[in-house]
Amino acid sequence: MAQPPAKKTLSVYLYIPNIIGYFRIIINFIAFAECYTNRTLFAILYFFSFFCDGLDGWFARRFNQASTFGAVLDMVTDRVSTACLLALLSQFYSRPGLVFILLLGLDITSHWFQMYSSFLSGKTSHKDVKHTGNGLLKLYYGYRPFMAFCCVASEVLYIILFLYADAKSTSLLNTCRGILKESPLVVFMFISTLIGWALKQVINVIQMKTAADACVAYDSKRGK
Amino acid sequence: MVTDRVSTACLLALLSQFYRPGLVFILLLGLDITSHWFQMYSSFLSGKTSHKDVKHTGNGLLKLYYGYRPFMAFCCVASEVLYIILFLYADAKSTSLLNTCRGILKESPLVVFMFISTLIGWALKQVINVIQMKTAADACVAYDSKRGK
Repeated sequence: MAQPPAKKTLSVYLYIPNIIGYFRIIINFIAFAECYTNRTLFAILYFFSFFCDGLDGWFARRFNQASTFGAVLDMVTDRVSTACLLALLSQFYSRPGLVFILLLGLDITSHWFQMYSSFLSGKTSHKDVKHTGNGLLKLYYGYRPFMAFCCVASEVLYIILFLYADAKSTSLLNTCRGILKESPLVVFMFISTLIGWALKQVINVIQMKTAADACVAYDSKRGK
Repeated sequence: MVTDRVSTACLLALLSQFYRPGLVFILLLGLDITSHWFQMYSSFLSGKTSHKDVKHTGNGLLKLYYGYRPFMAFCCVASEVLYIILFLYADAKSTSLLNTCRGILKESPLVVFMFISTLIGWALKQVINVIQMKTAADACVAYDSKRGK
């Protein structure tokens, strides 16, 4: 087998998937800078960033440029963009005021616990989890399209609520009623994303419990 | 850890409702989560379980932050107190952050002193957050190198 030529080590920070990662962050910055004045632009940019999320994984595999830094950058970008969108929604919908703040808390809590407990069991991605217990979790982690559906649905639902937010009415229920009076396509999208979002939140809650149990089990194993 | 992060995030989300530009607080929310997440991740990679147990041989400010706990406590507490001050002084009539700050500076000397000192602590903490992101990212890169990638 021929020796590979001595290669100049490319800084991890310049790996293609990581550059896509920086690009995602810039897109998000621009999106949020324009979120009050141009909602459609925000929605387009937000989704473009979401799309790039899948793209950088593909590039990482294609060019063998997977990196720990890239994985963390990806995870953090996801969490922060969702958190910021939820913070934004909490500005638009003041009744009930705490719904989006609660969802923000749930998202961060469940993912943080999940990541921590994955680490304790020696994994580096919170998505590589074998759940022998709960059926819904098994489906979520075992069948990637289902996971993708739930994650995408959540984000799409938040964007729908963002786009339909009305300065005149700050009630979430009123906006939802208004959406249900729209065209069949919009209603279909709204209902299906609502279902996916609901499943994801249920999974978030279950995950918190199993991850917390894993932390407890870790201590037991260590003989505390 | 999670309770700290989520309560700060929720408070910042709340402040972004009260003040224009709301993006300032949304940015701070992003910075807080990002820096702590990276820091925790890189601590794990080096085998530690608390993001506060860090030996930083490089940056002087970080060495002070992690080496001298009262300094860390001052910065963390100052940040939270500043957010609460801004929360308490939020006025439905004026949503401008600058106006509220100007208003606070016209208060009694004790309030002004608290405001200025928490502002200093908060600023230091944000600088530390940024530095931390960089050193933690470097640790992730170093981890891959050690693994022989």
